[in-house]
Amino acid sequence: MTEPAAVRRQAPAEPVRAKAAAAREPYEFRLAHLPAYLALVVGAVVSMSPFLYMVSTSLMTLGETINRRLLPATPQWVNYRTAWSEADFALYFRNSVIITALVIVGVLVTCTLAGYAFARIRFPGRETIFLVLLATLMIPGTVTFLPNFLMVRGEVIPWGSWLNTLPALTVPFMSTAFVIFLFRQFFLGIPHELYDAARIDGAGHLRFLTAVVVPMSKPVIMTATLLTFVSSWNEFLWPLLVTTTPKWRPLGVGLYTFISEAGPQTHLLMAGAVITVLPVLLVYFLTQKQFTEGIATSGLKG
Amino acid sequence: MPATTPAIRRPRVSASARREWLTGYLFVLPAALIIAVFGIFPIGYAIYMSLHRWRIRKGAFVGLDNYLSVVGDWWGALAFFGGLLLIIAAHWLWVDAFRRDDGTVALAGRLLGALVLLGSGVAVSLGWRLMTAEGDRRFLQGLTRTVYYGFGSVPVQIVLALVIATLLFQKLRGQELFRMLYFLPYVTPAVAAAAVFRNIFSPRPERPANTVLEWLGLPTQQWLFETRPVSQVLFGGLLDRLGIELSGFWAGPSLALVTVIVFGVWTYTGYNAVIFLAGLGNIPKQLYEAAAIDGATRVQQFRHITVPLLSPVTFYLTVLGFIGTFQAFTHIYVMRAPNTRDAVDTASIVIFDTFYGRNNFSLAAAQSVILFAIILILTLLQNRLFGRRVFSD
Repeated sequence: MTEPAAVRRQAPAEPVRAKAAAAREPYEFRLAHLPAYLALVVGAVVSMSPFLYMVSTSLMTLGETINRRLLPATPQWVNYRTAWSEADFALYFRNSVIITALVIVGVLVTCTLAGYAFARIRFPGRETIFLVLLATLMIPGTVTFLPNFLMVRGEVIPWGSWLNTLPALTVPFMSTAFVIFLFRQFFLGIPHELYDAARIDGAGHLRFLTAVVVPMSKPVIMTATLLTFVSSWNEFLWPLLVTTTPKWRPLGVGLYTFISEAGPQTHLLMAGAVITVLPVLLVYFLTQKQFTEGIATSGLKG
Repeated sequence: MPATTPAIRRPRVSASARREWLTGYLFVLPAALIIAVFGIFPIGYAIYMSLHRWRIRKGAFVGLDNYLSVVGDWWGALAFFGGLLLIIAAHWLWVDAFRRDDGTVALAGRLLGALVLLGSGVAVSLGWRLMTAEGDRRFLQGLTRTVYYGFGSVPVQIVLALVIATLLFQKLRGQELFRMLYFLPYVTPAVAAAAVFRNIFSPRPERPANTVLEWLGLPTQQWLFETRPVSQVLFGGLLDRLGIELSGFWAGPSLALVTVIVFGVWTYTGYNAVIFLAGLGNIPKQLYEAAAIDGATRVQQFRHITVPLLSPVTFYLTVLGFIGTFQAFTHIYVMRAPNTRDAVDTASIVIFDTFYGRNNFSLAAAQSVILFAIILILTLLQNRLFGRRVFSD
């Protein structure tokens, strides 16, 4: 391999930004644009229709879901209360929030430290270790899930079973090569003079990192947070394996078990789906630009 | 100084340099430990498991037996994987090997490359036939379905994405809004989206997909519950009348799998469009201006400037898309109906099922190692073919 995969994934970041800036030229409507608008609107409606169906159905009565209604006669907000309290979505939601928050904190701590070391500290084997870590980006989850499952059951390393515990859901995700790579790239751009100055003031690497580098690195920390948030919130295969009871089950798995339990209660299922999707969409709308750029460059969903 | 640093062997290194090393190792340690334990070690352990009989508990060492029961025939597997690797060799012969030579030598090199490519095709198909005769049918069919899934979804989503990106690039008002809406499916949790698709493409007559069909005056379909191939569903009557019987690979994917393909297109089109938009922003405006002066029409400009200059991005998205289909799991797992047997089970679903449903850990491990090998070859292919040209600027 001549070049790590992530290096290429990173590449489109700049043009996305450049494009957005170019779009702010004064707009002038021309009749020739009409077909383009038409096509774009049709495409957008098609791509939005599953969301519209989801929201609309989540507000229907059971009767309306089987009578081909497009919209509910009166929105049944009670469906959300039912899903939230009776179908355990409150518990799943809480679990997802805790799991995601822990994973984000873990990723930020481990990857900032590692990214900084790979960018700024000289030590033997630095490049080799970095490349080995980067190579793990090519490994599909399909290969690692089985040994990892035996591992958290305590069958490989005798540390007891972690099934249905918080560490099983969080620790394996607390560091990813891609985020290390992001941080390293960003830290490489910080001028050496800053460190020399800090050094004269008697600061070591850790002081310099926390007092100078981290406050300067808000954009990359934001990107890493968003990326980790989405991938952790959307994680499915692993939590499905390691949660056999509802205790720490996150939203995705909760929704999946609800599919088989709910039977024909489509309206409640859709309410659950909305609860699962809403936090991600909310964050997406609030941080739209950083979000699109950060995720577009990472190739998040393999 | 603790004896943990390699500095001991080189006494000339100063104490401050050694402290620097130690700091470096300590900073890297937490991240490296997690990735090593949960990302690198499992590969070795998966190989170790695949060499034993392992059903829930570890059994006897069986060597390569698990692999043999997956691939069926060693020569077949050799021909198949060798054929895949030959594609890379063919490309090397075609592009690189004789770059310095001129005229006839270069031409001969290219001919040789074409010949090798032809040979690789023969080897792959021959190897496949040998493998399917004796091997693990569920897994091999899963691979076939994965290939259907890839060929069914990747080209469609790329073409749609290119159209969307080109339209958006014309500095229309609301470009940002459209970009946001099109990108939305990509960030949506796959479980929730798949749950919605399950309902839309349900076999019940009152659900959206069938309602639309009825509204158009077409017969309702079983969608995710339909195990018959689409060729049969669409043209069944016609084919019967003509006396044509399509079977195996050429009958095409099941309608259930096509529904999964629709999901794939829905998810990734917006993502591809965003990447294409970035690529379009990279093309120098002067090219279009020059072409316009020379009297080239918009279509000609698109055909002769946009398409060739975007081709690296297209290749990149294609290979990324195919690697993605080999890894796809969540939405297929959620959308598969319990009584369709394995109509939509792609390779990764089969692996999960071998492990979770059948508790055959060692066979699942062998299958996953083989899948990994295929993904690795695809990645190498990507690096080989497009690695240097994509985003080389």
